[in-house]
Amino acid sequence: MKTLVTGALLTLAANFPAVADVNLDELVQQAERAAYYAGEDGRSQARMMIVDGQGRKQMRQFTILRKDVEDNGDQKMLVFFDRPTDVKDTVFRVEKHALLDQDDDRWLYLPALDLVKRISAGDKRTSFVGSHFFYEDVSGRAIAEDSFSLQQETDTQYVLRAEPKKPDTVEFAYYDVSIDKATSLPVLINFYKASGEHYRQVEAVQIETIQGYPTVVRSKVTDLASGGYTLMEFRGAEYDLGLPDDLFSERSLRTPPRQWLN
Amino acid sequence: MTRFSAAMVVLCTQKPKTIYLVLLVLTLLIGSQIPRIQIDTDPENMLDASHPARVLHNQTKQQFSMHDAIVVGVVSDHPQGVYNALTLNDVHSLTETILDIDGVVASDVMALSTVDNIDQAAPGTIRFEWMMKTPPSSDEQALEIRDKVERLPLLYDTLTSQSGKAAAIYVPIVDKNESYRIAETIRASTNGFTHGDNWYITGLPVAEDQFGFEMFVQMGISAPLAGLTIFILLFVFFRNVPLIIAPMVVAMATVIITMGALIGLGFTVHIMSSMIAIFLMPIAVVDSVHILSEFSDRYKPGQNLHDVVNEVIGHLFTPMLYTSVTSSVGFYSLMLTPIPPVQIFGAFVGTGILLAFLITVTFIPAYLARMSDSSLEKLQAVLHGDGDKQSRIARVARGLGTIANRFQSSLLSVFAIVFAISVWGITQIQINDNPVRWFKSDHEIRVADRVLNHHFAGTYDAYIVIKDRSDVPSAQALLSDTPPQGLSDWVVETQQSLQNLSATEQLQQLIIAIDDKLFSDVTEQQSAWLEKTLNTADSALNSAKTFQSPQVLNTIQELQAHLQASGLVGKSNSLADVVKVVNRELRSGQPNDYVLPNSSAAVAQTLLQYQSSHRPQDLWHFVTPDYRSTLIWLQLTSGDNQDMTHVVQLVSDYVEANPLPQGLSVDWAGKAYLNVVWQDNMVAGMLDSLLSAFVIVFIMMVLLFRSVVFGVLAMLPLTITITFIYGLIGIVGKDYDMPIAVLSALTLGLSVDFAIHFLERTRAIYQQTGDLKQTLQAMFGEPATAISRNALVIALGFTPLLFAPLVPYITVGVFLASIMAISALVTLLVLPAVMSKARRWVFR
Repeated sequence: MKTLVTGALLTLAANFPAVADVNLDELVQQAERAAYYAGEDGRSQARMMIVDGQGRKQMRQFTILRKDVEDNGDQKMLVFFDRPTDVKDTVFRVEKHALLDQDDDRWLYLPALDLVKRISAGDKRTSFVGSHFFYEDVSGRAIAEDSFSLQQETDTQYVLRAEPKKPDTVEFAYYDVSIDKATSLPVLINFYKASGEHYRQVEAVQIETIQGYPTVVRSKVTDLASGGYTLMEFRGAEYDLGLPDDLFSERSLRTPPRQWLN
Repeated sequence: MTRFSAAMVVLCTQKPKTIYLVLLVLTLLIGSQIPRIQIDTDPENMLDASHPARVLHNQTKQQFSMHDAIVVGVVSDHPQGVYNALTLNDVHSLTETILDIDGVVASDVMALSTVDNIDQAAPGTIRFEWMMKTPPSSDEQALEIRDKVERLPLLYDTLTSQSGKAAAIYVPIVDKNESYRIAETIRASTNGFTHGDNWYITGLPVAEDQFGFEMFVQMGISAPLAGLTIFILLFVFFRNVPLIIAPMVVAMATVIITMGALIGLGFTVHIMSSMIAIFLMPIAVVDSVHILSEFSDRYKPGQNLHDVVNEVIGHLFTPMLYTSVTSSVGFYSLMLTPIPPVQIFGAFVGTGILLAFLITVTFIPAYLARMSDSSLEKLQAVLHGDGDKQSRIARVARGLGTIANRFQSSLLSVFAIVFAISVWGITQIQINDNPVRWFKSDHEIRVADRVLNHHFAGTYDAYIVIKDRSDVPSAQALLSDTPPQGLSDWVVETQQSLQNLSATEQLQQLIIAIDDKLFSDVTEQQSAWLEKTLNTADSALNSAKTFQSPQVLNTIQELQAHLQASGLVGKSNSLADVVKVVNRELRSGQPNDYVLPNSSAAVAQTLLQYQSSHRPQDLWHFVTPDYRSTLIWLQLTSGDNQDMTHVVQLVSDYVEANPLPQGLSVDWAGKAYLNVVWQDNMVAGMLDSLLSAFVIVFIMMVLLFRSVVFGVLAMLPLTITITFIYGLIGIVGKDYDMPIAVLSALTLGLSVDFAIHFLERTRAIYQQTGDLKQTLQAMFGEPATAISRNALVIALGFTPLLFAPLVPYITVGVFLASIMAISALVTLLVLPAVMSKARRWVFR
């Protein structure tokens, strides 16, 4: 029901700037599906290179396991760290809830401290392990969080402007997202302050089709103020592995499910 | 020399217009550079740009991503201190304003609303959240913020005070030359707050900016005022405006040409060089006063004007040349001090004095030769009109003569005792300085400094930089094992791609390269070799991260505890504190978990959490990403060099008694430390320049008088005077600071002038009379009057500095005025006594 209402509002808003035949609601849902819900489940190895304004680099390497409860809906996720080796076997566990007023559940396992800790939901726009990606960039910002309007349509892309429904919970005033018509993937997101200052950019650098799913295999976030950026590369992505539900439980934190990780 | 001077005077008196023209053109041409003035107020420039301490300081700033910061403080009288809704709303809205100001490093702004709180949302749940995302809507909510801040040692006593009465916002800025604009924007906001809180804006960039402004005030007010004072004095002496226009022209031309040359040559105007005008003006007129005194004495109506001028100049040329050279030697000796602004000051004032001499001996004769008969008659009327009515200054001089001649023995004893006490006083001198104290005590910067340092752990920053200087295994070495078949090309390629990286980045990239290679098609043999190398690289990279080791962090923590216990440091912050806070919140949130974890991996995992906040970059203010350099940030409540020196000593003693782990080195950075370095340089440098000036002036005196005895006599009054002044400084406990240090050498060159004129004239009169008693009687006529006049010109010429807005200027004013007055007095009182007692050696 809620989705319907939101969708109606979105469509209404979109009707003003013209281009009446684009169904915005469908467009953003499709984009969300393409970006975060490919297949029923998925696995990928990821490597982040965090580069600061002075060009100094830090590396993070991890494996992500994901299983959808429902497309455009709830998801379960596990992130297992490999490198640097001093954080090896650190695990994040996430139960993502798509509804606007339901917070995600997040847990953390730190092997060297022999500690499982729940992370209070609160703010999702904190750094993901020191990178320029936010936690929310990795798990996916639910489309229900923003109101979209169509800015521009080109031969290959739609450009949508998104404004947060709860401006207090985010650091941006709005963002413009370019959605590739061919793949439905968001390929460029520019974040702006209320002053109009363009301060942050997320881009899909390379896209490959894996098992029929267009997949972003290189993406980059740039902090335009400092010039620092993080480059994230994915490899070995696979979909529809049949990951069991009980994999996404507290047990996997202390005992990494080796057979699903390689 | 006399023949040369005579020829020159003839030339000048015959072609006065040419002289005027040359002087005018030179003054206009070089003076036209003055509008290009560049003010330099950065205390850092007291050290040469390539000085190791300064290089390390800037390197540290860069490595740890630090910027100069404006500090905004608020003090509230509310019963809950700043933890009330109104004040925190103001803090919040001001922070929003600040974040939007161009030139502010927004990501590094430290304020209650821009930092993270880490705490327990519930048992077993850690929470990262903005400390004050939205301002509190009630005083109860405001108190919750207090409870949060008090749990975070990195913020407590830095963002809010222990008393709870004060809060601060630290505003790092990209370019400190923008600080004025930024501070004004902030001030405009704080002026709009109406809740009775007191707002303060300070920080080094603001202080420097303010300083530059006050320097202009000084140059714009004190220098013209000095000109006016000298003009009035000259009028009192000579009562003849056309006559005293001449020395004023000399002074103006000298100042304009010297400043124009300084600016035209591309030097910045620093606090020292901003005083050039006020130094040159009185010194420049001194020679003219001698000429005018003697000219007005000798010229009688009906005489040939040119002849009198020739005679006067011929008579005074040598002593004037020597006094000018000795004065410039005093200033030139400052070039031995390894402090660039002091060197530039010395060089330009020294040259300016020689220039003044040159202008005096060319322009004054030209000017005198063109004086109208009516002006000359008026001069006569004033000076010789009434033989009985001596000028007041002449009466004083005669009075001094009576004392000097009658109480010779007592005078000598008194001076001997004063000298002895002064020598003891010098041993009591306290060396100390603090650029913030260059502002007067009621200046808003000083007020803000006092208030904020009263409430907080300190606004003066110093950094202990600890580096691991031991070697990290190179990727080259790790790849040196013979690779299995088919990998050699890959090894060569990899080695080449790693060449220009730092050691730890080499390891990191090597790991990535191997990892990628393993992902491609490799044989089993290749895979085994790669895995082995990968493991070695992984563990090499891990063990290279020195400051992730709990043992090393514990060393740092103990050093911090030692510093805190000493009471000399307001607060210290380090990577160890970051780790302990996160560790505590990861565990129970209770004080007993405020400890370092027990392994490097645990530290790494703790820090991985710290980086999962809104401000991951904060970590790099404490440690470099390779974990091989770290810093301990010290907050000091005093910027006095003495206090900083104690802290440096404390650390060095501690490190000596408790050696750091192998390979670690300790260095210092931070402005408070740099001040200590340049002050040490200055003290050592000043001793060099004082001694060298003393030796050079002494040799010049021996040459001038062609007598060692007269050389010693010439040095006697200034030795007594300088010893007395510095003894006094030691005894009254005035800090020996930058202006006082600088003045020691240059006063030597200035105060010897009186002795030169006194001895020169004594010898001349003695040759005529052959009788010492008669000679000394005569000396307290015109010669003593001229000396007293000059002493007054110089001493009073510096007094406008007393009205200057900055303390160093005032110190210079008081100091120079008294040293000039005292050395003239000592010259007149001591030399007759010594010459009488030692007559057998003096007049052989």
